[in-house]
Amino acid sequence: MKKIVVLLMVMSSFSAFSQTNEGVVKYTRTTYWTKLISQLSYVTKQEKDKMSYMFGGRDDWKEYMLLYFNENGSRYTHSEEKSDESEGYDWGKQEFNINRNFEKNTMTDLVDFLGKGYLIEDSLQIPKWKILNDLKDVAGHICMKAMVEDTVKKQKIIAWFAQDIPLNAGPERLYGLPGMILELDINDGAVIIEATKIELKKLGNEMDLPKKLKGKKLTEKGYQEMLYKFVKEKTKEENANWIWMVRY
Amino acid sequence: MRGDLKFSASPYYLTLYLKMKKILLLISILLFTHLVNAQNPSRIVIKGSIKDTAGTALSAATVMLLQPKDSSLVNFARANESGTFEFKNVRNANYILKVSYVGYLPYQQVLSPSASEINDLGNLKIKPIAKELIEVVVKTARAPLTIRGDTIEYNASSFKVPPGSSVEDLLRRLPGIEVDASGNIKAQGKDVKKVLVDGKTFFGDDPKAATKNLGAETISKIQVFNDKSEQAKLTGVDDGKKEKAINLELKEEFKKGAFGKVTVAAGTESRGVLRGNYNRFNKKEQFSILGYTNNINETGVNWNDYGEFKGNNSFNNNDNGDFGFANGGSRYNFDGGDLLNNFDGKGFTNNFGTGLNYNYTFQKTKFSSSYFYNQTRLSLDQFEEKKTFLQNSFFSNTDTTGKTDFRRNHSVAMRVEQMLDSSNTLIAKANLRVSHSDVGTNQSQRYFTDENTLNTTSKIDNSSKLNSLGFSGSLIFRHKFKKKGRNFALSTGLNTNTSDGTENLNSLSRFLNATNVNEQVKALGQLNQNENKATLIKSSLFFLEPISKKMYWESFYNFSTDHREVGREAFNALRNNSRFDSLSTFYKNTINYNRVGTSLRYSFKGVNVTVGLAALRFDLEGKLYGGKDYPVAQSLTKSYDAVTPNISSDIALKNNTYLSLNYTLNVQAPDISYLQPVVNNNNPFYIITGNPDLLPEKSNNLSLYFNKFDPATFSYINLWTEYNSYSSQIVYNQTVDENFVTRTRPENLSGGKNFNVGTYIGFPIVKTKFTLNLNGNASIGNSPTFINGVKNETDNKSYQLGLGFNINPSEKLLMNVSGRLGFNNINYSIEERQNQQIRNHGIDASVKWNFAKKLFLETNLDYKTYRNDRFGFDQNIPIYNCSVRKLFGKENKVEVRLAAFDIFNKRQNIVQMASQNYVTTQRALTLARYFMLSFTYNMKGHADKLKKNGGW
Repeated sequence: MKKIVVLLMVMSSFSAFSQTNEGVVKYTRTTYWTKLISQLSYVTKQEKDKMSYMFGGRDDWKEYMLLYFNENGSRYTHSEEKSDESEGYDWGKQEFNINRNFEKNTMTDLVDFLGKGYLIEDSLQIPKWKILNDLKDVAGHICMKAMVEDTVKKQKIIAWFAQDIPLNAGPERLYGLPGMILELDINDGAVIIEATKIELKKLGNEMDLPKKLKGKKLTEKGYQEMLYKFVKEKTKEENANWIWMVRY
Repeated sequence: MRGDLKFSASPYYLTLYLKMKKILLLISILLFTHLVNAQNPSRIVIKGSIKDTAGTALSAATVMLLQPKDSSLVNFARANESGTFEFKNVRNANYILKVSYVGYLPYQQVLSPSASEINDLGNLKIKPIAKELIEVVVKTARAPLTIRGDTIEYNASSFKVPPGSSVEDLLRRLPGIEVDASGNIKAQGKDVKKVLVDGKTFFGDDPKAATKNLGAETISKIQVFNDKSEQAKLTGVDDGKKEKAINLELKEEFKKGAFGKVTVAAGTESRGVLRGNYNRFNKKEQFSILGYTNNINETGVNWNDYGEFKGNNSFNNNDNGDFGFANGGSRYNFDGGDLLNNFDGKGFTNNFGTGLNYNYTFQKTKFSSSYFYNQTRLSLDQFEEKKTFLQNSFFSNTDTTGKTDFRRNHSVAMRVEQMLDSSNTLIAKANLRVSHSDVGTNQSQRYFTDENTLNTTSKIDNSSKLNSLGFSGSLIFRHKFKKKGRNFALSTGLNTNTSDGTENLNSLSRFLNATNVNEQVKALGQLNQNENKATLIKSSLFFLEPISKKMYWESFYNFSTDHREVGREAFNALRNNSRFDSLSTFYKNTINYNRVGTSLRYSFKGVNVTVGLAALRFDLEGKLYGGKDYPVAQSLTKSYDAVTPNISSDIALKNNTYLSLNYTLNVQAPDISYLQPVVNNNNPFYIITGNPDLLPEKSNNLSLYFNKFDPATFSYINLWTEYNSYSSQIVYNQTVDENFVTRTRPENLSGGKNFNVGTYIGFPIVKTKFTLNLNGNASIGNSPTFINGVKNETDNKSYQLGLGFNINPSEKLLMNVSGRLGFNNINYSIEERQNQQIRNHGIDASVKWNFAKKLFLETNLDYKTYRNDRFGFDQNIPIYNCSVRKLFGKENKVEVRLAAFDIFNKRQNIVQMASQNYVTTQRALTLARYFMLSFTYNMKGHADKLKKNGGW
């Protein structure tokens, strides 16, 4: 059923818009780690207060991401750009290469999890979006608010999708709204992924899948189960480290 | 959906379904439509056309079908050029149809199941959003608009008004709202009859009461909506008249808060503690007060309390403005100041401290200030046995010291960080510290020959008082250029310290072997008046240029001028306080330091390699006077140049593996006090003199560090190794006379080296319940010194091995057992018969047990042994502590704890040490057994669970 919906959505959304819709969106992904830790159920009120007291206002950490898109799909991965604070130093990045093919209705995601590479290949399964009644400007586009829940990582994710970019793509592993997702807010601002620039241009081979798809093969379900097991185990152990080890 | 379920439940159709999805879909639709045609059709087409209020077709409008119960997105479509849209083949159910279009209010319509196969909604007219709302609120202030029916709400805090402005001032800035001179409000051209605060009327019906009296800072959101007229509300009949109303939503309280705790404790042996801190904060400000007093050897607060006191100013220590690669010493300086507990384990202390801290953070400004006072009164009784080796002989001495030491400090600190604009930042810091100390020592020393006959005895009675005033200030300016990654920074700083003090030195020494009667007894009575001044001015420049995405070029320049004035007037107390010309001194020294350096860095995909070179120069100038207003007796000028290379690499490999390899040539100017030929005779048996010919210390340092972590199992391994070799080292060469009086002076020597290798490994044996950690460390050092003109090489080999287990059978029981072995072998080339082996072993076991609700037992045993066979030293010290605590109240705000410390009453402080040409054992008395009952009130409640790892 879901697959049919995807198909219908893709068909209906693109039939009317066949002009060149391809390019790249630059996103800044900011992690506010005091907020991140505050989400953990076993952190006491005292500890939360103390954290925001000591680190509030200087607890952000920035990464830069790119979303290449055209009408048939998207690819989301790290940008080589470095933050001002890094003074040019580069500390390496975990593999995070998210490929969506809307035409064939497939995902091909390369991700690192606990130091191992995984290749998630599956058909696309649309997140259960709820549409809300708020409007906001992101990177010069007026966006509408939508929400989805990640039951594995226990996240409430707010997405802002552009009313005027009729593409289903989005950052991280999310997509499937009636417009391009330009901002994500995970768990009340613990992580914010915000588009800073949308560039329409003819793409070269940026959307091609890597020639070598290294990593243990998993289905989406298999991947979610692996995550679920890990988060559950670490939560039981009261080990806050899990939030650093999985991409939040 | 019912039909669908029927089909998919049948295995035959299921296989077919999987094979030929599309065909099946068609069939099922046809079949289903046919079957239920008598009622509502199961699959329908929903269509319509989107027009604005003027009737213009809105092409490309987004049309969504949502589930009414939770607004879940079911399907979406876009309107074509003529504004029409169509959902084909959708389930015939309840929906919310939602239309979104840039610049228009989202339109919503509830759809019920349709009786016909085509549900034509006709023309849907959607209303534009006031243009100014889009321009001003959404585009300029970047505030989100929330639409609830015909209410548009937005965040007032996005609009900047000067501090102290009223809501009225804020309203004037908002699009669509006009406020006239007398405060009457119009929204979208209509009079606002009502202003609500959090949905309630605020001090009567006058809308101006709220807008004039409330501060703009207190408001988070402003809602403008149409209210039914009073008439309509009263009669319940909607007369169609709508009035504009404004609702002001107050900011949430969660940004404000307070926390704090207070502890009172009383124990046996007259032990007591009173400790408390209180913090208040809101989004902009943090205010903390802290105080403590105790006689249980806590000379300051712990890390947690330090952080709570300093708040967001806890981690600002690194802005010292010294740019460029490290040139000896660490680049990161952390100075906890007087605040942190720094008790060294010896003696008994009475402590008191109190302070307050204020931080202000708002937009581009961060301001912090604090005041802190602390005092510590130490009383110490210490016994030391020391053996000193000479060529083919040795002597030993015992030293019994009684010391009282009272210190107090006032310190005031301030820091401002101001973002001038997006590319310029300024940091200014100032610290002032006033301190006073009063120290008295009583020492009795006995010197024995290698045949263990008493040779010399000495009684020393010294006292000193010192007052000092220190100031340090610095300014750092950082500029980011338009070209991304290009940075420039400039810093300048001033440190001054002035002190004046008196010293009373009294000693009586008996030389039992002296043949001459005049030499048998020596008495010293000396009064020193000291006046010192130090001024350091420094400045640094830094420039970073990205050459490419992977290459960076860094350049820096450091300058400092260090000016010191040391004055000492010495008087002979035994001869009517006549001046000791030989021991009085006055000197002025200046060290100018210049360093210029550059380095090239490759940074890409986790690999960072820097290669750099710096040229440095020290210019020293010293002038020695006979006294403060005397002419120059001696002057000295010196310069040292050096070129120092630096290589550093930090590599992040795949799979959480890190590697770092560094090489530096360290060059450090001698401490200026070493350079003056001034005599320090505080201990008449150990007389130190300066050396004007001293050269800088130079050493080559090579280090390698490896770290790997496996997040799946939480196993880790760390390895490090470091090699340091001195081409010029400052050492204390000694000459010891027949009375065992040691005269020492700093001199340069080459050949000293040390090598260190260590590892730290941890892994679980039973996941989460049983983990093992292992550490090992070996170091080999060679330090040369001249003893009576003969070169002695001390070889120091030390090995340490530790093994520990964490056992956590349940969340309520945490156990730890660890043991360590430490060996230290010291060989002296001038007296090989005296080679020493020091052994320090220990075992530590601790249990934390949450044995009943809100009841905790914590106990630990720390058993240490200290041995040196050649010294005949063998001491076992078991320290056993145990405590029980209970939490009270619904929020666990109260904790009562009964604790027993050092139940076996065995605690003492032991230090075994060997270096240069001596080996020593020190024992000091300190706080041993006591019992204590404490009561802690924590405003935010104590954790009612055991914590495995201290922090997060």
